[in-house]
Amino acid sequence: MVRKSKGRQKIEMVKMKNENNLQVTFSKRRSGLFKKASELCTLCGAEIVVIVFSPGKKVFSFGHPNVDCVIDRFVNINPPHPREHTDMQLSEAHRNAIVRDLNNHLTQVTEEFEIEKKRNEELKKKRKNRRMPENWWEEPIEKLTLSQLTEFKCGLKNLRKTVTAEASKNLQAIVPRHTFYAGSSNNAAFGICDDKGNTHTDLDVYNHQRMVAANTFACNHHNVIVPHHITTPFGNSITEGFAPEYNQNQNQLCFKQEHISECDHHSNHPPRFGHGYY
Amino acid sequence: MTRQKVKMAYIENESSRKATYKKRKNGILKKANELATLCGVPVGVIIDSAYDLSPEVWPSREEMDKVVSQWQRLPVMDRTKKMLNQQSYLQQRISKETETCKKLTKENKELEMKEVMFDCLSGKTSPSRIEISDLRGCGNVIEQYLKNLKRRIEILSKNDGASSSSVHAAATTSAAMPIVEMGSSSTAFSDMIRQQQIQSNMNQTVRGLDLNQQQW
Repeated sequence: MVRKSKGRQKIEMVKMKNENNLQVTFSKRRSGLFKKASELCTLCGAEIVVIVFSPGKKVFSFGHPNVDCVIDRFVNINPPHPREHTDMQLSEAHRNAIVRDLNNHLTQVTEEFEIEKKRNEELKKKRKNRRMPENWWEEPIEKLTLSQLTEFKCGLKNLRKTVTAEASKNLQAIVPRHTFYAGSSNNAAFGICDDKGNTHTDLDVYNHQRMVAANTFACNHHNVIVPHHITTPFGNSITEGFAPEYNQNQNQLCFKQEHISECDHHSNHPPRFGHGYY
Repeated sequence: MTRQKVKMAYIENESSRKATYKKRKNGILKKANELATLCGVPVGVIIDSAYDLSPEVWPSREEMDKVVSQWQRLPVMDRTKKMLNQQSYLQQRISKETETCKKLTKENKELEMKEVMFDCLSGKTSPSRIEISDLRGCGNVIEQYLKNLKRRIEILSKNDGASSSSVHAAATTSAAMPIVEMGSSSTAFSDMIRQQQIQSNMNQTVRGLDLNQQQW
């Protein structure tokens, strides 16, 4: 490779030399050709057939109203029977209605896709701009040293505890409908609700205990002692991370109060504790 | 440079429609030619409309005859496997784009949650301020990150073999206690890191002071 190509480049109109590139080009261009054909039919109401043989001798075809109909006409050069005319018109109208709906649907999906693409760019740009060298843990994992990795792991584990605690508190209130699993479902931090919104009964027990504990003891979480100490295994159990350990020392990993106002993720949520909340 | 976006629907205006038809028809024939040439494959196109006296056949009637013969020689199943009409074509595109869009939405959510995670670590926010509906997503991102961290730690520990002991020694001396007793103070992860640095700096200056005192 001599130089990186800057965007599109003019190519010679001869058969491509590289086999792999040829295959890729075939795929893309065939797809593009069909798209153009479909658009022509939609926009202008033309009838069309496109037949393409692949390098591997497989055949692809696109036809409107359908491939066979147009091919037959070409081969036989026979006009349609006059009697069939009205029937054809009806089915054609029906067909057109369906196609119209499909086109609208496609337009809608394409628009949503564009929005997501823009958002993706924005998010990546944001991350680039927010990069702070002193926050070494924000760098890619490959760049961290072993000691950094270990420290980071500890910090994240503590964070996981608080987040899990928050989730437990709120479980009765909301059942999240959308799921985005970054990892495998086995490692879900919150095993209560699966993708279908079903509640796992064994975890209901924990939930119940949690609620009972919260109600029985003082609401001030600094003094909460949970009678049932459910240890969190760090394996693949579905209860992983679900039952947090409440200690007398709630101050395990807290967040500076004075910085909280900087980034308000949930403005409606009233700050619950004075200091040292974790 | 930006063209006007064309609405994918039948063009009501007669003259517009006719003009579009002519342009696009030529465009399709050009693309068909490029495909056939670049990939060295047989291609046949027939376009018919009210605007043409007779159907447009590309590359030519004779060539199209050849393509059709080749086509008819194939068993019906092979012919229809990849056959599409407007309906099936559009349905295919819809499902593909929906799929891609879903993946992108998921990725965007993960990126968002990663920012939340970083903000928690640097003290900009706390889990209590995370949207309830986001808690789960955030938890998942943390899980994934921990997984990757563990994997990376394993790799480094394995590779380092002999030198790992020295790395560990350095870790324990310079990083002092924090790995075990991180809960002692009420500070964010980022503040704790900074405290360590201050601590290690202080240790060095104290040692320096001692030396000075000894001189006296």
